[in-house]
Amino acid sequence: MKAKRTLRAVAVIAAGLLSTSTAVSVATSASAAARSTVIVNETSAMTSLNSGTPDTNLVTNSDIGYLTGAGFWYYDNKPNLIRNTTFGTYKITKNVANDFEVSYTVNKGLVWSDGTPITGVDLLLSHILGSSDYSKKAGLGDPNDGAAFNSGGYGSPYDSHIKGVSLSDDKYTVTLKYDSFQPDWAIFGPGPAPVHALELMVDGKTKLQSAAVNLAAKAQFLTDFNAGLNGSVKRLKTMGDIWSNDYNIQTIDSKTNPLLLVSNGGFIVQSAVANQSVTLVRNPKYNSGPKLYSANPINKVIFSFVTDGSPAAQALGNGEIDVYDGQPDTATFQQLKGLSGVTVSTDTTMTYEHIDLRVGNSAQSTDPNEPAYDGPFKGNGQKARDLRKAFLLAVPRQAIVNKFVAQAYDPANQADATVMNSHFLLPGQAGYSTVTAANGSFTYRNGTQAQRTAQALALVKKWYPSASAGSKTVPIKMLFKNNSRRIGENLLIGNEAAKAGFDVSNVGNAAWSKKLDDPSYDVAMFAWAPSAVSQTGSNANYQSDGSNNHYGWNDADVDAATHALEGLLSPAQVTAKYLAADKQVIGNAWSLPLYQWPQVSAYSSDLKGIKPGPLVPNLLWNYWEWHF
Amino acid sequence: MFSYIARRIGTALLILFGSSFIVYNLEALSGDPIAELRTSAARNRDFLIAYYTRQLELDVPPPLRYFHWLQGIAGIFTGHPNFGKARDGLSVYGEIAAAIPVTVRLVLGATILAILLGITVGVITAIRQYSRLDYSMTFISFLMFSLPIFWVAVLLKQYMAIEFNNFLASGQIGIEWLLISSAVVGVIVAGLVSGDRRRVITVFSGSFIAAALMLLIVNWTNWILNPGMGVLGVGVVVGGIGVGISTIVVGFENKRVLWATLTVVAATIAAYFPVNYWWSSSDMNALNLLWPVLALVAVAVAAAFAFTRVDRGPAIRVTVITSVFAGLFLIIDRLFQTWSIYLNTDGINMRPIPTFGEANVRLSSDNFWILFEDGLLHVVLPTIALTLISFAGYVRYSRASLLEVMNMDYIRTARAKGLSERTVIVRHALRNAMIPLTTLMAFDFAGILGGAIITESVFGWHGMGTLFRNAISSQDLNLLMGVFAITSFLAVMANLVADLMYSALDPRIRVR
Repeated sequence: MKAKRTLRAVAVIAAGLLSTSTAVSVATSASAAARSTVIVNETSAMTSLNSGTPDTNLVTNSDIGYLTGAGFWYYDNKPNLIRNTTFGTYKITKNVANDFEVSYTVNKGLVWSDGTPITGVDLLLSHILGSSDYSKKAGLGDPNDGAAFNSGGYGSPYDSHIKGVSLSDDKYTVTLKYDSFQPDWAIFGPGPAPVHALELMVDGKTKLQSAAVNLAAKAQFLTDFNAGLNGSVKRLKTMGDIWSNDYNIQTIDSKTNPLLLVSNGGFIVQSAVANQSVTLVRNPKYNSGPKLYSANPINKVIFSFVTDGSPAAQALGNGEIDVYDGQPDTATFQQLKGLSGVTVSTDTTMTYEHIDLRVGNSAQSTDPNEPAYDGPFKGNGQKARDLRKAFLLAVPRQAIVNKFVAQAYDPANQADATVMNSHFLLPGQAGYSTVTAANGSFTYRNGTQAQRTAQALALVKKWYPSASAGSKTVPIKMLFKNNSRRIGENLLIGNEAAKAGFDVSNVGNAAWSKKLDDPSYDVAMFAWAPSAVSQTGSNANYQSDGSNNHYGWNDADVDAATHALEGLLSPAQVTAKYLAADKQVIGNAWSLPLYQWPQVSAYSSDLKGIKPGPLVPNLLWNYWEWHF
Repeated sequence: MFSYIARRIGTALLILFGSSFIVYNLEALSGDPIAELRTSAARNRDFLIAYYTRQLELDVPPPLRYFHWLQGIAGIFTGHPNFGKARDGLSVYGEIAAAIPVTVRLVLGATILAILLGITVGVITAIRQYSRLDYSMTFISFLMFSLPIFWVAVLLKQYMAIEFNNFLASGQIGIEWLLISSAVVGVIVAGLVSGDRRRVITVFSGSFIAAALMLLIVNWTNWILNPGMGVLGVGVVVGGIGVGISTIVVGFENKRVLWATLTVVAATIAAYFPVNYWWSSSDMNALNLLWPVLALVAVAVAAAFAFTRVDRGPAIRVTVITSVFAGLFLIIDRLFQTWSIYLNTDGINMRPIPTFGEANVRLSSDNFWILFEDGLLHVVLPTIALTLISFAGYVRYSRASLLEVMNMDYIRTARAKGLSERTVIVRHALRNAMIPLTTLMAFDFAGILGGAIITESVFGWHGMGTLFRNAISSQDLNLLMGVFAITSFLAVMANLVADLMYSALDPRIRVR
């Protein structure tokens, strides 16, 4: 009865369906249109077109800035600093005591996306954004209390050493005058900014202007810049407000002021949906950098904001994104590996994990009531040196590295991963093998871990004859963040060091970063995250007055070697100085590096030319070589 | 009554003050907002640390800093609230204002769906207590209740998005799936009927064959790539729904209401072609979706008035519900017609079901129906996930509540009066059984704005849940407190509204 009724209903519905299917034409299958769009995953949303303020200096913003801008140099995937000779040239023009001059020349014929020529005038904004002196003199405010240009560039060596800026008569060369030699002068160099667009916005313009108006605006900027040198402020103050705030937009459509989008990179921003995506298209007037790949080119790049990990992997599998990079968990990595038509590669970042031992109170500490450090590693006496060396010997570095690099994504992996052995160079960088062969790290990789732990126990016994495996003779308080990576490392270290008579604390601290100067901790374990390649990059960590020296480290040889790195040196001399400093750091048993963080890139196999790099903008660095 | 409300609001303010003070300080003490900077090798680190210390007032102790924040919020009484700036430089007020519509779009549909489905299933299982259906629904709802949403989301994405999109390459249902889905339909239908084994087997095989036939027709007409209902399909479906609702609410024997309902169905059929033509115009917008539905509702009210003389209330209810369904199916039919066009749009390329996001980033169409379809497809998977896990609660609550009411003396009295079982359940039992559920609903609606933290992050939606998560992970106190202020305010208000509604619905309860 019931079944009969159901059948009848089915028959009626089927009849209805049949009658419609004849009325609607049969769909044709999708035409396999040639692919020219790449969708790149970003884990956070774009918050600004200007990544130059402290608030907006986020990876997504600077990635978009990288595709829409080109300057004198970029980092490749080694990472090496590569000169962008299409844009211009730079060189040292004078290097004597107290007078160091470098000049930057923009090639002629380069244009912004609105057709306005790029000249040296466009480099001058960099000075306003980096020099506190200029800001104060021009009445834009002291950056330490908040200036008109809310730039994140103040307070750098450029700020403290720049003496003056001058523009050549043909307006294509800018010369920077420093009060002393700057080892990293190349990357202090100015970047181009569309100053004419800023001037036009100061005038309240909301449309692209004619060539003549643009040139007049550029001339106006030069006038304003020079007026600033003489303490006149009005227009620059308005410009600072525009530079700091008007670029902070999340939605870009036909109502957006096109002057905000003027740029000189291979791509220009076309549209953006808040918290969803940003669409970039080829810049037809692009001539400021390496030529874009011409066969099967990429015509559109879309940054899509997916969260990290599994959602990104599934979006890749569903063809919703083409490019992913990040630090996924093991399950997600296996998921990525399982996708067909997707290339997966594991690489390392420049961020590296390391372990530091305290010698005394921090030179940075400002608390006058701070108790003096009185732990087992105190001072440079033989006992402290022996105990420090013993502790470092008992750190099972290979086991840690295997767990967090080789097995990070493949728990079954039995291969030994690379242990980092230098504080100044990353594995693979020029000079790394020279430095590690002689810096004393051999002590900490000679033999098996069991042998090294035995040596450690012997050293401990020298001062505490009663010490034995598991005796917990020397209590060690360790500072680390309570996340899974650090808890795992702490456990491995604690278990191994126990065999040498140490008793390592196993409680992490969420607010660990505030405690780096706290003398109640004997050991700290965290990661340094360099954002640039620089021969002086590690100085702040090991100099006796270095801002990253939280442990009272003080060694005249280290100071001498690192100060020497601040001069003009040949590559061989640099390596020699690294070796000299590293030898002392390891010899004093201050610190040991562990490993570089791994990262994973996954992208559609149709996409060619991707070479993941360790520094931001990671795999985007050679976007001009990408093609299908 | 008014003194009661005033008193409640007074306590609410105290609760909000205390809870926000605790949350602010706990969060401020729980970590270091500039941890990343301290380990960075930036050359101007000291400048940046000074900048953030100034910007985030890190030199002020958290309990004092809280009052700076509170001062900004207190501006709400003067009409100038200041929620402060988030760490990415955007105003907290703007971020929350942008996140609320997203969250509502994501959670509202799922909440309504969960309430409707949950109560329906709960009522059916209560009526058929201890039947096969009751046991299987109990099992399913507990199963769903205990599944973690991120895992459900991963499964949904894998099978309903990625695999389904792969399947669309052919659009033909394979023989194994045909048999499996027909068997599933058979089991469900057989579970609905009661009776001896022979009857169950007959029903199972009958519905199995019917479903299989239907799927064969689907394959044969290539319906999945080219769906549509046509005027006849819409008419049949709406007719079935109308007769069904009329049977439940007033009974099949009430012919006057039945005629009124069928009038609505006739009006729907008559409107089919004009409405479709009108909806095809290029200046189509979301508001235009509403007019035909409103017109049908007007027809429904008129028909109910025309056909009935007494007891018009239930008649109007039946016809209006039918007309709303009629409007819904006109829209669904239109979306079916758009499907094949959507599939072949550049950027969709036959992979229509997305795994994340609020809209397809490649889509460059300004056609209303394409965009509408795109928006709906993006909301489908998260809605299913949220509904699956939250409907269990409603099933259990409504089942228990109805069972309790059904055992009351007045139900026995109603039965003794000779009322039909339908009248006893729909008119006497159901209404009273729903009263306790208002509390649950009030809280669920307040919870909507809190967002669904995990769901939003798994599906890449940027709503309140994402803001909350970002605020915690980046130690963004202003943002966190902004979200907290809104959600805690709503929770406290929902509490009050639930109590007031309770007293309005249940005459035994008075607020004093």
